[in-house]
Amino acid sequence: MNDQHILSAFDRDLEGIQANVMKMGGLVEEAIGEAAMSMQNRDEELAAHVIKGDKAVDGLEDMINEQCANLIALRAPAAVDLRVVLSVMKIAGNLERIGDYAKNMAKRTSVLVHMERVEGAHSSLRRMAQEVQHMLTDVLDAFIQRDVERAKDVLERDHNVDQMYNALFREFLTFMMEDPRYITPCMHLHFMAKNTERMGDHVTAIAEQVIYLVTGSMPEEARPKATRLDA
Amino acid sequence: MYDIAKMGTDVDQNTTKISARNVQVYYGDTHAIKDVNVEIGARSVTAFIGPSGCGKSTFLRCINRMNDTIDVCRVDGDILIDGEDIYDKRVDPVQLRAKVGMVFQKPNPFPKSIYDNIAYGPRIHGLAKNKADLDEIVEKSLRRGAIWNEVKDRLHAPGTGLSGGQQQRLCIARAIATEPEVLLMDEPCSALDPIATAQVEELIDELRNQFSVVIVTHSMQQAARVSQKTAFFHLGNLVEYGDTSQIFTNPQDERTESYITGRIG
Repeated sequence: MNDQHILSAFDRDLEGIQANVMKMGGLVEEAIGEAAMSMQNRDEELAAHVIKGDKAVDGLEDMINEQCANLIALRAPAAVDLRVVLSVMKIAGNLERIGDYAKNMAKRTSVLVHMERVEGAHSSLRRMAQEVQHMLTDVLDAFIQRDVERAKDVLERDHNVDQMYNALFREFLTFMMEDPRYITPCMHLHFMAKNTERMGDHVTAIAEQVIYLVTGSMPEEARPKATRLDA
Repeated sequence: MYDIAKMGTDVDQNTTKISARNVQVYYGDTHAIKDVNVEIGARSVTAFIGPSGCGKSTFLRCINRMNDTIDVCRVDGDILIDGEDIYDKRVDPVQLRAKVGMVFQKPNPFPKSIYDNIAYGPRIHGLAKNKADLDEIVEKSLRRGAIWNEVKDRLHAPGTGLSGGQQQRLCIARAIATEPEVLLMDEPCSALDPIATAQVEELIDELRNQFSVVIVTHSMQQAARVSQKTAFFHLGNLVEYGDTSQIFTNPQDERTESYITGRIG
C-alpha cells in the first residue's frame, strides 16, 4: 500500500498527531526515570520538577484529543487511518495515567525524605521503575515503527514487573513487622510500588493498541498475570 | 459478548437473492469485467465501490440486462436471481426489469404528471384491475418513496416540475411501483444536496425490509452509511467483498485499503 494520501494535508494531520504522542511518550518516560531517581537519592528538588512537569503531559493529551476530534470530523478516516486515530486516543489516555503515577511517586518522595530511610527497598523499587521505563521506550518504538513483534515482547515482559511487585510487597511487610517506625514510609513505598505495577499495565495496554493498529484486531490470549493477592 | 454485539446488524445473511458466477463482460475487445463471482443477499443493501471505469456500473447493469441494448457488449457466465438464470433465452428482459427495478444517476421522470409517472409501470404490466387499484398503488409507492406528503396535492402536475431531490424520490417510487424484488441504484444521490441525499438514504434503509438493494456509489461514506455488504471493484476485478464494517475498519486487500483511505493506489 502506498504510504501517502492523495490529500497531503491528511498526512500532515496524522503525522502531527503521532508526533505529539511521541513527544508525550518522551516526557512520561523521563518522568518515570526522574521520579525513581528522586526517590532513591532523596532528591526533593528533582521530585518537585517531576510534579511540575506533569502539566505538560496533561496539556499534550488534551491537544491530541482535539486533533483526533478534528481529524474525524474533517477527514472521515477509514481502515488503518481510523485505527490510528482510535488507538492514538487510547494511548494518550494511558500515557496520561502513567504520568500521573510518576507524579504521585514524586509527591510521596517529597514526604519520604523527611522520614526514616528504609534500607534496600529503594533500589529494588527503582529497578522496577526502570523496567517499566524500558518497556515504555520499546512500546513507543513499536508504535512508531508499527512493529507487532516488539509490542508482543512488551506484553510478555509485564510478567516481570508483576513479580517484582510481589517481591517488594513481601519485603515491605517484613520491614513493617520488624519495626513499627517503618510502617509509614513502607506504606508510601508500597503505594509507589503498586503504582509502578499499574504503570506496567498501562504500558501493556499501549502494546495491545499497537497490535490493534497494525493488525486490525486485539491480541486474543489473555496477557500473563503474576500479581497474586495471597503473596 | 462479541456475538451479542454482532446480532445488532440484523442482516439476512442466509438467503441469497442474486448470485453471479464467473461473469465476464466485453465491450468489443475490451475485457471490462473479469471473472466476477458474488452472492448478494435478499433484504439487504449491497454497495459497489471503486474508481471510475472499474466496472461497477457495468456489472450492475448486467443484473437487469441493461447491457443487452449495447450492441458491442457481450456477457458471459451466469447471473441467477432466486436460482434462475436471467440470461436464459426464455427470459423476457421486459419482465425481468419489472422484477429488477433501476434508479439512475440523474433523475429522469417521464414528461408526464406525477401520477402517471408512477402509474405507467403498473399499467403496462397489468398490475391494477381498475382505477381505484391504480390510485392505491400510486399512493402506496409515493408513500414508500417518502415523497407522498410533498406531492399529494398536486398529483397531476408534471413530474419534471419537482426539485432534483423530489424527482429522484419520484423515480425511486416509480421503480418500486411494479413491486420489484431487486432494486438497482446507480449513483442515486450524486446530483442531490445533502438533505435530499439523507432522505434518499433513509429511504434505502427502509426499502431493505422488502427488497434486495444494490447501490453503486462514489461516496464511500454513503456506502458505509447505507450498506450491510460492500464490494470493491478495481480494473474489472472484484477485489474484495465483505461486511461493510469490516471493509471500512479492516480491509484485507491492500488495494481496498489504499482506495478507501484515499491513498494513491
